[in-house]
Amino acid sequence: MILEEIKTSLIMWVSYALIPCLFVDGVAVLPAPQNLSMQSTNMKHVLTWSPVIVPEEIIHYSVEYQGEYESLYTSHIWIPSSWCSPTQRPECDITEDITATVSYSLRVRATLGSLTSAWSTLKHRFNQNSTILTPPGMEITMDGFHLLIKLEDLGPHFEFFVFYWRREPGAKEHVKVVRPGILPVYLETVEPGAAYCVKARTFVKAIGRHSAFSRTECVKVQGEALPLALALLAFVGFVLILVVALLSIWKMGRLLQHSCCPVVMLPNTLKITNSPQKLISCRKEEVEACVTSGLSSEELLKACI
Amino acid sequence: MKALCVSLCLLGAGLFLCSAHARGLRRCLISTNLHRMEESFRGIKTAIQAKDTFQNVTILSPSETLHGIKPLDVCCVTKNLLAFYVDRVFKDHQELNPQIMRKISSLANSFLYMQKTLQQCKLCHCRQEATNATRIIHDNYDQLEVRAAAVKSLGELDVFLAWIDKHHQGTSAASRQGT
Repeated sequence: MILEEIKTSLIMWVSYALIPCLFVDGVAVLPAPQNLSMQSTNMKHVLTWSPVIVPEEIIHYSVEYQGEYESLYTSHIWIPSSWCSPTQRPECDITEDITATVSYSLRVRATLGSLTSAWSTLKHRFNQNSTILTPPGMEITMDGFHLLIKLEDLGPHFEFFVFYWRREPGAKEHVKVVRPGILPVYLETVEPGAAYCVKARTFVKAIGRHSAFSRTECVKVQGEALPLALALLAFVGFVLILVVALLSIWKMGRLLQHSCCPVVMLPNTLKITNSPQKLISCRKEEVEACVTSGLSSEELLKACI
Repeated sequence: MKALCVSLCLLGAGLFLCSAHARGLRRCLISTNLHRMEESFRGIKTAIQAKDTFQNVTILSPSETLHGIKPLDVCCVTKNLLAFYVDRVFKDHQELNPQIMRKISSLANSFLYMQKTLQQCKLCHCRQEATNATRIIHDNYDQLEVRAAAVKSLGELDVFLAWIDKHHQGTSAASRQGT
């Protein structure tokens, strides 16, 4: 049972090993990459192909190109790609190699050690004027009354045509040519209370083509009345806070004063309600009454009290 | 009076044609990326000029040929010189260094593109003066051994590119936005 399983595994392993390595006249040959395809968007050109699979082996690929000039005048000359001779991934960014708006032929082959496949050539020649141009991403911001635009960076081939206008009937459309950078670009100083709309598209001089327009974005500039109301509100708020703060400070002061120097209240019996003259005249009458009665000093004192 | 009117009309027509010719070249080369070509050349200039063994000889002879070209002849001379480089110089130069090969390929294919663009320009007729100027350049090239001549001509590409740049002053954004 176990031996049968081992035998089956061995047969399968040998079969798998032989699949990619076809033997031609007894010599092992590496299959050429298949399904070469070019994807080009916004002047970025990527060549892809189906990978050559050899179990437990790393395949390397080499990409070469031939411009229209070479095809016409020096057809035996193929130029190795800048970044993909060799490469391990089944794709190649050949943007840097495609430098002119002419047709290019591209080919790929696989290598494994001393084994080299045949060249696989892209079925249709590629011209960068067939690149897909997408509408640019943009961000509209306001810095006070300055209308600013930030555009996505698509590389050195691109210029941006920015169209902007005041959103009102009969308004004139302005256009500005922009090269994107790190900072937003100033478009215009706008009037308060008005709405402004912006749209943009790219232009690639090398191929003489524009992209479609981006979605139109509109912003409404805040009017002068609103800042005034905000300022008023801010002032009232400030005054209220000031009053509360002062009251708090006064209250705290009072609390501190009471805690360290408390005021002592006299009981009612010790409180003097009559005037001092009356009190003195009252005491004099009491003293005479006491003397007349012949009381002793202690009794006198008790009587007086 | 009539003769004066006719003369003025002819003069105006002539001036219009001249400016149309000059504008014609600029419009024809509207999408040429000269900056990129100059960059490609700068990448190989030192290596190419180091191989030039005839330092006191020039192929383009700018003082005899390029500098004296009239506006009417600019398109023709440009077309002829592009053909000179594409048909002779790039083909005669043998290069093994892959980095230099890439730059030369970039220049050659860019020149091919410019040739195609100029072929579509209707205002590009060749007068005798333009033909004579390019004949001088071809004769200079033929006097040297072909490899040496190709290397020397490649080394003088900056002169040709600067001359194209001078006569092709670029276009304004307004002319592009309408498309």
